[in-house]
Amino acid sequence: MKNIKYILMATVLLLLYSCKEEYYLYNDIKRIQFGPDIARIYTPSYNLADTTKGYTFFYDNASKQIDTIFFDIYAIGGVSTKDRSFKLEQVAVPGAENAVSGKHYRPFNDASLVSKYMIKAGAVHTKVPVVMLRDASLKTTTVTLKFQIAENENFSAGEPSNLWRKAVFTDRLSQPNSWDAWMTQYYLGKYSVVKHSFFIEKSGQKWDNDFILLIRANFAELGYWKGMVKAALITYNAQNPGNPLKDETGEIIVIP
Amino acid sequence: MKNRFIYILLIASVLTSCFKDKGNYVYTEHEEITVTGIAASYDKISLVDKITIDPTVTSNKPGAEFTYWWGLYETSVQGAVPKVDTLLRTKAIDYLVVQPAKGWVLVFGAKNIKTGYTKIVTSNINVITQFTRGWYVAKTESGKTDLDLYTTPTTILPVGKVENVFSLANGRKLNGKANSLRFYSDYKSLTGTSFLNTRALFVVTDEDASVVNIGTIKEIRDFNGLFFNAPSIKKPDILCNGAQSFFFINNGRLYSIYNMSSNTGQFGISQMINEYNSDYKLSKFFYTPGFSNPLFFDELTSTFYSAGGASLQLTSVRDAATTKMPANNNNKNLLYLGFKTTAAAFGVFQDKTNPNLRILSTITPNINSLLMINDTLAVTEKLYGATMHTLFNGDENMMYFVVGNEIWSRNLSNRFEQLQYTVPGDESISFIRHQKYTVSSDAPFNYNYVVVATKKGDTYVIRMFTKTSGNLNPAPAFTITGKGEAGDIIYMSPSVGGSTYPNTL
Repeated sequence: MKNIKYILMATVLLLLYSCKEEYYLYNDIKRIQFGPDIARIYTPSYNLADTTKGYTFFYDNASKQIDTIFFDIYAIGGVSTKDRSFKLEQVAVPGAENAVSGKHYRPFNDASLVSKYMIKAGAVHTKVPVVMLRDASLKTTTVTLKFQIAENENFSAGEPSNLWRKAVFTDRLSQPNSWDAWMTQYYLGKYSVVKHSFFIEKSGQKWDNDFILLIRANFAELGYWKGMVKAALITYNAQNPGNPLKDETGEIIVIP
Repeated sequence: MKNRFIYILLIASVLTSCFKDKGNYVYTEHEEITVTGIAASYDKISLVDKITIDPTVTSNKPGAEFTYWWGLYETSVQGAVPKVDTLLRTKAIDYLVVQPAKGWVLVFGAKNIKTGYTKIVTSNINVITQFTRGWYVAKTESGKTDLDLYTTPTTILPVGKVENVFSLANGRKLNGKANSLRFYSDYKSLTGTSFLNTRALFVVTDEDASVVNIGTIKEIRDFNGLFFNAPSIKKPDILCNGAQSFFFINNGRLYSIYNMSSNTGQFGISQMINEYNSDYKLSKFFYTPGFSNPLFFDELTSTFYSAGGASLQLTSVRDAATTKMPANNNNKNLLYLGFKTTAAAFGVFQDKTNPNLRILSTITPNINSLLMINDTLAVTEKLYGATMHTLFNGDENMMYFVVGNEIWSRNLSNRFEQLQYTVPGDESISFIRHQKYTVSSDAPFNYNYVVVATKKGDTYVIRMFTKTSGNLNPAPAFTITGKGEAGDIIYMSPSVGGSTYPNTL
């Protein structure tokens, strides 16, 4: 009986011990990982923010052939007295129109970018530029560039959930980053290119990322623009009886 | 078994021995610092008056040595955290007030450097200007509206007059005929880099509107600036508040600002009446208790509606089970709707099919259960032919109304009608109002008047009557006259707040 008791206790202890995950201590070796904007690093709810960023050349002049979006990356394990390069590599996304290196984006090993993929001496943070190229194919497609950290002589990989980022870009009208789940639920409804075009046509505004960020900072103004496009949609539907405005998938457009 | 208890007791005693004794065994008397010579409040004119105080500071501890500081912070702040500005670090203060006209709090601190003990004393500072106290009359001359200010330095009776203060401050007059004046203490205007509560007076005409800072009469926003996208037709009807919101009816359409969230003091899109955005035309008559959503009336469908400030669509009003008239599609014209109390209103209706049918309705203005008790008016009753009306705000259960050149009263409890005053034959009545001001901290300026405004040639005459048991006293308490025709009058003081006067016609 006594033996059974000891065996049971040992089993429980073993089970408890086995529940412990292996955590990085971050004071052993130098690691690197992506993260939120530096203003948000102490806000836990933003830990997994900015994993995907969208962009469109749609609003730009034809003369603009390249543009850059930035992600935040953080070195872990302390600063260094020397500049430390880090390495990125593309990851194919099954089922997606994957961006083609040199065609849709400047390769990560391009000479012009090598100095950018660097944690400067004395620093632990930098902005990672992704240079997008306005290829003609973007007029008809939206491409995805998923990339991840590749270990090198300076850094090992950091937290697994923060080792990758994704840029989704096109030369067509596309869903701005700020037209997010909250905006969708409470203000603008489900995104569609037809709805987006309708907003632009009726309001004379771009409804791009900057515009939405501007109006969502002021509930009164956000309410105004929502009401404006909602009234325009009602008018459109009233002028087209039996043929309400539908999106590119045939779904009737609704503004909550 | 016994050993186990002994072990437990031993462990418990070892653990409790770890507790530190944090008892306070200092039995000396607490220090008491006394500050005298600072009043509870001061009225100061910005850029003119100084705060001059030399308080007496004593301590019950012998040999106390003090350091001092004075600070100032503003009150009624929304959307920002008020910051205490240190004014100086001496015992006596002689400080020229430069702050804008509104409420501030003066803070005095005295610290005994020997004990570290500090005493804080505060005092309310009402920063005022020549514009912050007096009677404002919105008046119209040659199709343009301006403000006349009647100053009241010591009592409610005016002793001085500054004509056309709006155009003096802003270099222009408002277009159209003076309609109404409304005051709010929490209208958001740009102050520095933030939109903060501002004591603001709205001047509304039948063609224009402006909101001014009551401390300076400087325009904060003109009609176009009051909207994110100004209506193409400028035809203001009314402005009112309710449920932390402002409402503006222009050309029968409702615009709103929800004032509990950050905003820029601009009205949004015209609210829709239904999901089809059908046409509607709200009456200029409305009811608002101030703290909950108002009651509006659509003249096209003869239907009552309510509205929220953050909403994009008017809210339906439901009937009480015992109502004598439906809130929706009641086939009536609304001739008058006014505020009696925060729970009672009265309306006068005319049937659309039979215009000879007129009704006085006692209304319990609950938008979820609107109760209307109707009293059909006989042609012989004076109220039947009334052209203007007013109710006594919280006072006697009476309605005053205008028939021709006569002011009549009607006891709303027993229908008794009585002639109260006949204006001289060469005058025509512009408006009647009941206005009272009962702020106890401003007692010398308290009043309770029935206001009778008339037009006499090119001048206005405003008689302020006191009343006894609901009846006008024979002679007005005072009369003011000026150029033009008066459209509204309001008494302003630093103690007037957004809820001092009911929003009603």
